[in-house]
Amino acid sequence: MPHFAMVIDLNTCVGCNACMAACAMENQAPVWDKDKWRTYVHDKEIGLGSDVNRRFFPRLCNHCDNPPCMSVCPTGATQKKANGIVFVDQELCMGCRACAMACPYHARVAITSDDMREGREFYGSDYRRTSPSMDKCSFCDHRVEQGIKPACVETCVGSARMFGDLDDPNDPVAQMVASGAARALMPHIGTRPNVYYIDDIKWRG
Amino acid sequence: MDVNMTYATQDIWTWWLAIYLYFGGLGAATLAVTFLTDMYLKPHRHLVIWGAGAGVVLLALGSLMLFGHLLDKTAVLNVLNPMILFRKPDAWIAWGTQFIIWMMVWGVLYALPYVRETDFPRKVPGLRNLIDRPFVVTIGTLVQRFHYTVGWLAVINGVGVAVYTGLLLQSFPAVALWHNPAVPLLFTVSAFSTAMAFLLLLMYTLINDQADEYIRVLYERIDLVLIAAELVILFSLYQYLKNGSESGVRSLELLWNDYGWLIGFIGFGLIVPFVLELKGVIKGWATRVPIITASILVLTGGYLLRYYFMYAGVYAYPW
Repeated sequence: MPHFAMVIDLNTCVGCNACMAACAMENQAPVWDKDKWRTYVHDKEIGLGSDVNRRFFPRLCNHCDNPPCMSVCPTGATQKKANGIVFVDQELCMGCRACAMACPYHARVAITSDDMREGREFYGSDYRRTSPSMDKCSFCDHRVEQGIKPACVETCVGSARMFGDLDDPNDPVAQMVASGAARALMPHIGTRPNVYYIDDIKWRG
Repeated sequence: MDVNMTYATQDIWTWWLAIYLYFGGLGAATLAVTFLTDMYLKPHRHLVIWGAGAGVVLLALGSLMLFGHLLDKTAVLNVLNPMILFRKPDAWIAWGTQFIIWMMVWGVLYALPYVRETDFPRKVPGLRNLIDRPFVVTIGTLVQRFHYTVGWLAVINGVGVAVYTGLLLQSFPAVALWHNPAVPLLFTVSAFSTAMAFLLLLMYTLINDQADEYIRVLYERIDLVLIAAELVILFSLYQYLKNGSESGVRSLELLWNDYGWLIGFIGFGLIVPFVLELKGVIKGWATRVPIITASILVLTGGYLLRYYFMYAGVYAYPW
C-alpha cells in the first residue's frame, strides 16, 4: 500500500496560482470566496531594504498521519485511508467546525447552504456536492485512484509541486524527504504531516 | 521556513461558543451540586427542582447555540446516537453530547417525584395531565426506590459535562492557550464556582429560607476555595504562557493587556468576590447584599473567562 505525500519546492513556485485554479475546478470549490479554496498560495515579501525576497507559499491539507482534525471529529466524518489520504465524508459531517479549530495548517473550510446554492448556479448540472459540510484537500483521491496525479501537481508550471509514494525508495519524493531537503511544517505539534517543503530563503542572496 | 511566521486568532468559534461552554458548565455543575446536597446534606425539593431546571434549560440553550451554527443540522443525528462513543471514543464533542443528553434524562427523572409534590406544575396546562399519567406515576415510584442510583447517574453525567467543556478546548493542539492540562481543570473549577454563585444567589433571593443557613455557609466556603483554586490555576497558566511557544506568549499578551480580562474577569470576577466571601466566612455580613453582589460578579466572570479564552487563542502559521 502506498503512502502518499507531496513535496513543495518554494524555490520554483512562481506564484502563478494555476494550482489554485486547477484544484478549484477539479473539486468544484466555492471560487467566489477565496477563503474557501482547498489550496491557497500566500504571497509575502521577506527581508529589509533592497534585500527583499518575494515568497510564494502554497498551502493545503497536510494529510497528517496523526490528524487532530480526525480525532476531534464527533461524527466520524473525517477519515484516513490506508494510503495516507485524509478525507471528509460529507454525508456524515454536521459542520460543527471542530476540525477547523484543531487544524494547525488552516486547511479546513466550511461549505454552507449558500455556497451550495451558488455552486449549483456556477457549476450547473455537474455540481456533485449533496450536503453542506466542512471541506478540505483530498489529494484528488478520485484521480490518484486512477493513477493520475492531483490536479494542482499536474498543472504546476514550475514543477514546484511533486506527488509521490513515501514507501517507494525509488520515488523522488521519498528520496527528497529521506535526504532532509524537504521538511514538514511544525513537526513539534505531533501531527506527522505528509506535505513537505523545500526551503527557499537559504538558497537565495 | 519558519522565518516568516504569521500569528492569527480565529473567528470560527466566538462568543456563541463561549455561551455554550458557559451554560454547559454552569447548568451541569448546578445540577450536580443540588442533587448531592439533596442526597447527602438535606432533602430539598426546591433546590432539586431548581438544579434540574437549570441543568435542562441552560444546557438546552447552550446546545441550541452550537446547533444553530451547524452546517448540516440533520447530520446531528449521527452524534445523538449513543453508539457514537464506540465509533468515535476520541472525540470530546461525542462524549459531551452524550453527557448532556443523559444528564438531562437522569436529572429530569431524579426531580420527577419532587415535581409531582409541587403545586406550580399542577397549574401549568398540559403538565398537570402529564405528571398524573399512570406511567409517569410508576416512573416516579421507581425513581424513589432507586433514589441514589438515579441521582448518581445524573451527577456523573453532570460532572462529565463540566469537565468536557475544558477537554474540548484542550484537544486543539495548535493553540498553546488551549492545549494544556490547566484548561480542563480551570473550566471545571470555574463551572462549580459559578454553580455555587448561582445557588447562593437563589438561596438569598427566591428560595430564602433561614433553615438553609448552614447550606448557604457551606456553599460560601466551597466557593471561596474554588475561587482560590481558580486564581492558583490562572497564576500557573500565566507562568506556562510567558515562556515557551510564541503562540502562548501572544495569547498572554492579548489577555494580560486587556482590561476586560485583567480588571473585568480577574479583578471583579475573582478577587472582589473572593474578598467579599472571605469576610462573609470569617466575620459574617450584616446583610445579604455583599454575597448577592459576589455571586453576580462570579457569574459574570465565568462568562468572561470563556469569552476571552475563545478570542485569545493564537495560531502560528509558517507562511
